[in-house]
This record gives sequence, C-alpha cells and structure tokens, in this order.
Amino acid sequence: MSEQFPGGVWERLEPLLLEVERPSRYLGGEWNAPDIEEGGTRVALAYPDVYEIGASNLGLAILGEVVNDMDGASSERVYSPWFDMEREMRTAGVPLFTLETHRPVSGFDIFGITIPHELTYTNILNLIDLAGLPLHARDRSAGPLVVGGGCGAANPEPLAGFFDLFALGEAEESLPRLVELVGLARASGWPRDRLIAEASRLDGFYRPSDYEVAYNPDGTVRAVDPVPGASSSRVKTVVDLDRWCLPRRPVVPSCEAVHDRVNVELFRGCVRGCRFCQAGMVYRPVRERSASLVVGMADEATALTGHDEVSLCSLSSSDYTLIEEVADRVGGICEDRRLALSLPSLRMDERSASIAGGLAGGGRGGLTFAPEAATDRLRRVINKPIAESDMVDAVVCAARAGRRRVKLYFMIGLPTETDEDVFEIAALVYRLRDAVRAQGLAPPAINVSVSTFVPKPHTPFQWCAQDDMETIRRKQDELKSGLRSRAVNLSWHDAGMSVVEGLLARGDRRLGAVIEDAWSAGGRFDSWSDHFDQARWREACDRAGLDPGFYQQRERPLDEAFPWDHLDLGVTREFLAGEYQRAMRAETSPDCRAGICIECGACERLDRAQVLKGRWP
Amino acid sequence: MSTRPLPEPLRLRLRLTKKARARFLSHAEYSRAIMFAARRSGLPLEFAGKHRPRLKLSLSPPLPIGVESGGELVDLSLVGYVPAAEAKRALSEVLPPGIEVVEARLMSGSDKAVGKLIDTAAYLVSPPEDAGTPRGWRDAAVEFMSRDSVEFTRVQPRRTRVVDIRKGVHRLDVEELEGDGVTLALALDDGVAGTVKPWEVIEVLGGMAGVSMEVLKGSRITREGLFSRRGDRLVSPMELGRRGAAAPRGRR
Ligand code: SF4
Repeated sequence: MSEQFPGGVWERLEPLLLEVERPSRYLGGEWNAPDIEEGGTRVALAYPDVYEIGASNLGLAILGEVVNDMDGASSERVYSPWFDMEREMRTAGVPLFTLETHRPVSGFDIFGITIPHELTYTNILNLIDLAGLPLHARDRSAGPLVVGGGCGAANPEPLAGFFDLFALGEAEESLPRLVELVGLARASGWPRDRLIAEASRLDGFYRPSDYEVAYNPDGTVRAVDPVPGASSSRVKTVVDLDRWCLPRRPVVPSCEAVHDRVNVELFRGCVRGCRFCQAGMVYRPVRERSASLVVGMADEATALTGHDEVSLCSLSSSDYTLIEEVADRVGGICEDRRLALSLPSLRMDERSASIAGGLAGGGRGGLTFAPEAATDRLRRVINKPIAESDMVDAVVCAARAGRRRVKLYFMIGLPTETDEDVFEIAALVYRLRDAVRAQGLAPPAINVSVSTFVPKPHTPFQWCAQDDMETIRRKQDELKSGLRSRAVNLSWHDAGMSVVEGLLARGDRRLGAVIEDAWSAGGRFDSWSDHFDQARWREACDRAGLDPGFYQQRERPLDEAFPWDHLDLGVTREFLAGEYQRAMRAETSPDCRAGICIECGACERLDRAQVLKGRWP
Repeated sequence: MSTRPLPEPLRLRLRLTKKARARFLSHAEYSRAIMFAARRSGLPLEFAGKHRPRLKLSLSPPLPIGVESGGELVDLSLVGYVPAAEAKRALSEVLPPGIEVVEARLMSGSDKAVGKLIDTAAYLVSPPEDAGTPRGWRDAAVEFMSRDSVEFTRVQPRRTRVVDIRKGVHRLDVEELEGDGVTLALALDDGVAGTVKPWEVIEVLGGMAGVSMEVLKGSRITREGLFSRRGDRLVSPMELGRRGAAAPRGRR
C-alpha cells in the first residue's frame, strides 16, 4: 500500500477523494495491480485520458508488465485526472501521482506517455504540467525523461518540443533497453543530457532536438536536417509476438472500462492495404501468434481476472489464418466458464459472419462490419474491394444466427468521393435490409456509424485534402435525410473534431505553439464532445498566425517534403506514392499474404519476415 | 472446483467488510468487485440467462461512498455443494483489499434473498472531537426523537423534495467518550421500506446542536450492521432460520 512509500501523496489525496466524482479513478490497488518494491529504476506510464478509458489500453498493460518483469525496475500507472480532480489537486498543491504508490511522477526516472490520437494532445501537455515539470523539453534540467510513444508517435512533430524522446514502433524490446540505460546512467553519474543523448542512439528511439526543420516561403517544409552529432536511429522496432505473451495478469479496473474484457492479440500488423488506414501501414509486417499460445493466454487471463468476456483482437481478427481453430478452442473454454467470446473488426463476408455469429455467449448481440464506402468504385479507390454480394451474405448470415443488431461503419470525405457515393450509403443500407427480408428473415436493427476521413501521415492518402467544415456538415445532412427509417440508427462524428484532428495529424513543429495555446486556454479532453471547443483551436491558430486550411484542406504535390519523412516506420514513401497513384485510377493492390510481395518495404527495412501460422486462403 | 451437484441451488450468504480504500468504491463498483472475485474463486456459481450468462447475486442496500462497513451482506447462488468454511476461504483469497469475508453461511435456495430482507441499517457516527458538546448532542437527540416529524430537503440528481425523515429513524443514542467527544448510534430505515441516509440525520441533528456541516464533514461514519425488523427486535439476516432466531416471513 502506498502509505508505506515515503514521499507519497496518499494522505493529502484522501480528503480530496470525497470531493470528486468517481474516487475509484484514483485509488489504485486493483486486482492484479503490481506490487512495487522500493528502489531501482522507476517508470511511470501514462495514458492521457481518464481512468476508465486508459485502463483498457492494451499497449500500456503490456509495457507495464515488461518493465515489472525486469530486475531492479518497476512500472506504475498514471491517468489524466478528470476536471474535478484537477481542480482539487491544483488547489491543494497535489502533483500528478501514480496509482500504485501514489508517489509524484516528478520523482520517477522515466515518464512514458502514450499518444493515442490527436485529440489527446492538450491532455498530454496537462500531464506534464500537473507533474510539475517544465512543459518544454529544452527547459527541463532535472526530473524524469519524458518519452512519447504509441501510434500517435507516427508523426510526433507537433509535440516535438514537449518530449525528450519518442519511442518509434513496438516498445517491448526497446523500453527495457532504455530502462537499463537509465540504471547505467545512475550508476555512472551521467548528467541528464548525456543520458538523453545516449538514449537517442538506442534502436527505436528518436530525439526530436536532433533535427532541425527549415521551411519554404510558402510554409511547406524545405528540409528536416540532422544537427551535427545527431543519432541516425529513427527506425521503428517490431517484435515477435510469440516471444511476448503479455499481458499475463491484466489489472482488473475498479470500474467498468471502455473495453471491459480480456483482450488477447491474435496478430500484429495488417496487410489488407486499406489506403486510409494508418495502423495498416505502420504496424507491418503481419506477425501471427501461435494458436496454442492464444488459447493459453485466454485461458489464464480469464481465470486470473474474473472477466466475463474474452475478445480475440487484432486489426482484422477474421484474417487470422487459424481463426476457426482458435475460435473453437477458446469458445470451449468460454462455454465451460459461462463467458462471452467476441471477435471485433471482422471482414465483411460470409465466412467471418458465420464464425462470429456462432461464438459462445455471443447470443443476440450485434455484429460489426466496416464497408467504409458504399460504391464499388470508391471501395477500389481505398483498396477495400468487398463485393456487395459478400456484404449481403454477411448480413444475411448474421440475421440467420439470430443477431438482432448489425453495426456498419462508413466514412465520408474520402478522396475522389462524389455526391453519388454519399447518396449510395443510404441506398446500400436499404439494399442490405431488403436482402435479409427476401430470405424470409427478420432484418436486424442497423446502426450506421459515419466517420469523417482524416488524411494520416505514412499512408497513401497523406497527400490528399480533407473536406472543410461546410462540406462535412452538408454530407452529414444528406445522410440524415437519406436514412430516416426507424430501423436504422445513424450516428456521426462531430465535424469540428475531425477538422482539428486533420489539422494536427499532418502537422509540423509550428503547431506546438497552437497546442500549447489551446491547452492554456483551458483545453482538456478534446475527444469528449461535451468538452471540445473548436473556437479555442481557431483562436490559437490565429494567434500563431497559422492557417488551419494549409494543413487540413490542401492537396499536396507528389514531391512535397513532409515533416515526418525522416521517421522510418517501414513502408517506403515510394510505395505510398505508388499506392496513391493507383488509388486515383481506382486500381486495387493485392494482399501480400497470398504470396506475392508488393514491396512495401516493411519486411526489408525492419528486418522481420511476415509470420503466418496457417495457410492464407 | 469439483463438487457434488445439487437438486436445487444453495444460497451462500456472506458478511463482508467494505473498508480502507474499498470504502471509496461506488455501489456498482463494489458489486463488480464481488462478481469478478466470485468468478475467480472457482466456486460452482449459478448463472441466470441463456444468451448472456449473468451471475446470480443479491446485495444489501448501497453504502454511501466514503462510509466504512463491517456488515455488508451478499447472497451468491451455488449449484454444487461446498462447505461454508471452504467457500469463505476460496473467496477470501481473491477479494481485493478492503473487502473481506467475515462470515459465510449456507442456506436453502428458497430462503428470501438478502436484498429483499433488509430494512434497517445501524451506524456509528463520530463527529470531530471539538464539534459541539456532549450535552448539546444529547439535547438534540431528545428533541429529534420527541418530534412527530422532521423535515429534510433531499437533493437528488433529478429532483429535490422535502421528506419526513423522523419515521425512518428508529434509534438515536448519544454515547459520551472519555474526553470531550461523542459517538452517535443510529438505526435507520434502509432497504425494502425506504432509506434515510446517515448524513441526513447528522445534518439535522447538527443544526439542533448548533454545529455546522462544514465542521461535521470531518465525521467518521461506519455502518455496523444490516437487519430485518421483527417488532422492536433487529434480526441479522445471517441469523435467520437458526435455532432460536425468528423465522423469516413467508416460510413454514
Ligand atoms: S514487404 Fe512485402 S511481404 Fe512484407 S509486408 Fe510489405 S508487401 Fe507484405
């Protein structure tokens, strides 16, 4: 218990707990939370959102165990305090603390912050500030190394000024190397800047201050050049999933978390090649986990947590080559223990629907599919060429399995989209419903969720323009009038949020001032629609003299230099450009699991081969 | 856990603490902690519902956040026989800190569930030492109990209304401590017949004794037990059906 730890804030925190909503967010001591021994290298790993969101994050759960398995090192968890707690903490002078020992983060050796998406940037700044550390890396002469990571580190440039280092790629192997280096630094009495310099030479770490950005008069990037003596390490690291069967003992959140289940990864990476998808580009190559390890992990983790649901997850679960076998074996465990089994992210075809439709304890809940686009042409542009007949089969199969709900994800604003593509979303939904009726089945309720396309770095669409506010709103209105049936439930993303996401996603270092301004103006929890305020961002851009449209709505020429070009995540710029050009011609590209490498660069540059445990159909 | 199957499920009644950090859990979080622990325990639990199995469980009425208790009650349902002591051990190993099994007892599955039995909660309240005088508290208690009705403005998320809390207060004793402090012993309606919260009584009583809520916020409250009223006797659901104890209504 934290009371044993000198320097902990528990005694000052306790009286605040009755003043806030959900004190459980700050308690720690959950089932399976690690026992922390004093001494050694101390790592604090933070998720920049509230407990019930962050507690579900698989990546941090894995990294926490990786560090806690090391000798002489320990890792503790940190989440963003909610508004009420932030107020109490600032008034009472309680600094940001960890949940395990309630010690101030400022006394740790490493302060790792995962960057889940652009709308957490203000929360990230808030974490650094609440920890009592200077916001800018250049102003920090003491305290923990502030290290960013996670998928948001694919373009960390807008945040470059706030972090000492970024971890690129998967950190299961690189984080322990950093932890060891910190131990060595302490033993040898290195000053902080020497430690950061040595750390920047480790594989998988990038020190932003090693690079200088020069801009053209028109505002585009001219060059990103290393400063003298800079490390050349800017290549991400990837791991073998069979060597890292974690988390073994997932912490059981004290309140219901967003993904309140045991999550077992089937594989990392996805090479379907959807051109809008950043995860599909930056996590290559595909590395499957052995079926028996998946089954063993599901078995152990459910017994050790008491969760009532297991989810076999990955970027596209039904693509796991041994999915039938694993679903069957894990399904048996679930039936014995009265647990539910779920398969998120299904390919929309009959095979996937029939596997998912028959899962243990799945009952009458919904199945989710992501056709993304409603016309055949647009699906070829985004390289997600699902035939409409496959979609019909999937929905009919779900209805036949007794599923009462089907959720369909679409996107508006995709490159080359026409009014007809938007109009067709409603028409396709009705066609799917009618096809179920034609089989004499009761059609499930259809939830249609429509997000707005945001061009992301390291994807074939990184050159594309994003729709402006008015266009997004107009398309959303068209959808609303097209989908009026009572059996169809339409939801959409806040247009303003998509625009800010687009502004930051392809941002450069100049946006650091904008983020800082939005944060000082009170920006917190921007991904919560109740707390998002677009005006704050507009004004911050005005004050910085930056035009959001330059970042967000501008189509880039093929040869424009990008702020993230110097970061090597595997796929090459040539490959992405080729894919972009094929997209404009509505030509698809094959999935390399079928046996033909399309030379995206990942396997060669990252020195990892694709790993499949079964035969690709 | 391998067990002898039963013709009909048994009720496993537990008395638990909710102390230390666990006192900050909401009722939903506390109930979740018990369900997760029950599934970890390997006990032969009964589930309800075919499609999405849900653990069968009955809980005593919610404890206000921050209040400690040594007498929370839970009923689980077992489909195989496990001795009560064994069940207690299995659960004790997997409950999170602050929630401990004090007592476990097996009962017939047809006995009334704990959630439907409890109507009274006993609390001990220790106001901060310098809050009021023993005499002031005693006079306030006498005044409170001698009234026919005591109005309290109950503020809830969706509505605010004035309620009479007098009839829900069955006992209000002031015990003097060495030194200056007092302990208030309360027995309040809680459960099937409605609920009076300890803070509501403290606020009114403090008003009568001339002590502000600001000062009383520092009071320490514990829930000592949960009961079923039998005339003017309070019977613990742990004791129901035992020789010498009152039989629950509706049986025999
Ligand atoms: S390098 Fe070839 S095999 Fe490897 S992920 Fe890219 S396309 Fe697939």
